[in-house]
Amino acid sequence: MSDQTVTAPVPAASAASAKFRQFLGNRGATVGLVIVAVLVVTAAFAPWIAPYDPQMMGAGPRLTAPSFSHLFGTDEFGRDLFSRVVYGSRLTLMIAAIAVGIALAVGLTIGLIGGYAGGWIERIVMRLVDVVFSFTETLIALAAVAVLGPSLQNAMIAVGIATMPFYARICYATVLVEKNKPYFEASVAAGAGHFRIVLLHILPNILPTMVVVATLGVSTAILAAAGLSFLGLGAQPPSPEWGWMLSAGRDYFSRAPWMMIAPGVAIAATVLGFNLLGDGIREVLDPRQTARR
Amino acid sequence: MRRYLVQRIAAALLTVWVTTIAVAMLIHIVPGDPVQIMYAQSQGTTPEQLEEIRTRLGLNEPVWKQYAMFMGRILQGDFGQTIRGKQPVLDLLIGRLPNTLLLASVSLVIAAVIGIVFGFIAAYRRGTAVDTSLMIIALVGVSMPHFWLGLILLFVFAVNLAWLPVAGTDWRSLVLPAITLGVANAGIIARLTRSSMIDILDQDFVRTARAKGLKRGTILYRHVLLAGLIPVVTMLGLQFTYMLGGAIVVENVFAWNGIGRLAIQAIFQRDYPLIQGFILVFAVLVVTVSLLMDLLYAVLDPRVRLS
Repeated sequence: MSDQTVTAPVPAASAASAKFRQFLGNRGATVGLVIVAVLVVTAAFAPWIAPYDPQMMGAGPRLTAPSFSHLFGTDEFGRDLFSRVVYGSRLTLMIAAIAVGIALAVGLTIGLIGGYAGGWIERIVMRLVDVVFSFTETLIALAAVAVLGPSLQNAMIAVGIATMPFYARICYATVLVEKNKPYFEASVAAGAGHFRIVLLHILPNILPTMVVVATLGVSTAILAAAGLSFLGLGAQPPSPEWGWMLSAGRDYFSRAPWMMIAPGVAIAATVLGFNLLGDGIREVLDPRQTARR
Repeated sequence: MRRYLVQRIAAALLTVWVTTIAVAMLIHIVPGDPVQIMYAQSQGTTPEQLEEIRTRLGLNEPVWKQYAMFMGRILQGDFGQTIRGKQPVLDLLIGRLPNTLLLASVSLVIAAVIGIVFGFIAAYRRGTAVDTSLMIIALVGVSMPHFWLGLILLFVFAVNLAWLPVAGTDWRSLVLPAITLGVANAGIIARLTRSSMIDILDQDFVRTARAKGLKRGTILYRHVLLAGLIPVVTMLGLQFTYMLGGAIVVENVFAWNGIGRLAIQAIFQRDYPLIQGFILVFAVLVVTVSLLMDLLYAVLDPRVRLS
């Protein structure tokens, strides 16, 4: 951000840019944005950043401590841990995108149906969401993996299903608000069909809220998926998935503690980044929070 | 009050009932032939034996009849036998349950003490460096995967310093898993306590108390802490169910013999009767805890109690 942008006269209409500046004024949110940006850049340029192929065995001696040639050390097969962590960022972003995408798509559909239909459909649908919500994500995810079998793909589906109620509930509440707005009544009066009203009128209006909700859900999804992989129920070897790498490092615990450091720091930093980003966004959108500062 | 109770109990029963349907259907959603998958590891099972198992499990009956049979058995406390070792599923789960409950309860106490103290201090010193540092610590705590924290503690205190055992069944083996789960959840409680206390600190009655010349300690304890804790206490119930979920992972890091460790083994061995039993027992546990919390809330909050 150059000084010019900050001092330039702000048109009254640019509420969005004002919000964005408020967001940048929040130091935590900026740190979060930087962490997430670093993660995205790492994932995008992984082949250029990583000095070795993440799967190449014997890139160095086995179980060597971090050094200049192997920044994070090597694992039991002599694979370069730095390269593995770098490539792991791709998996983490993919897991986050797919798990959150599934949760968002299913949650949105259920929330729209429940909120729009009303009556007994609403009661049944939302009651079922409550049932799923009352269990912890871990249990739902475990049950889903137990049925589908352990794999990274199934872990992403499991995390998506497990976190879905969060999205369904917020979507439902947002739809109820939209139904009270004049445009809704107008479209009903104009004789628009159900599909037209839901897809062309309600959906575009609730989508921005849901996208923000999705940012808040990313860290939960990453942690849950890493947990499944750690238990051996998600990513399978030789994948450089961070949760799985931690699990593999367990066996070399006392001989090569660095095997647990790099992937652990990577997960924690990523989740921290998304949490800070989410907090920042929430603060900008919730005026009550802002007033308190 | 009575209406509230009836509603809550009905909702709890409904949840358990929906779970029994899901659990009974589990075996049908599994891709492929569950019987074949379950017995794939044990060699020398003839097609006749597989057929015999199918008949025994009732898999040749129509779905509704299977569910009726399933419910009939469950209601009599018969959760079937494990595939490996042929042990009664319910006995096995009930035997492991106290370990999980113990771990979750001790962790909850640790999380509550750390979280409330941190949150309260941060709220009281709002806007200062103390507040910022405590909240950064809390956020890092929220962001750290439990299993990683567990591995680090295990490495430092059990392997390097050898102060505590790596695994076991006595109280000394409980220390590290309980700290792991407690610390990992303290962050959320600290953040909630802080915002709840800040709300209270801004209230008129606190200013009145100050104006009356009450001692600072009295104000903070009687007016702020006790009032600000109500939402925190409600949250603790929800936290306890999260602890039970988190315990599944932490038990596996520390080889703590709770139902979570059993469940993961069951998933790997595709021991479907055990998986079904685990989900049901866990569901009943979570529902009971939520129900108890709602009842406690009803007793604590006069608005609910008197309605």
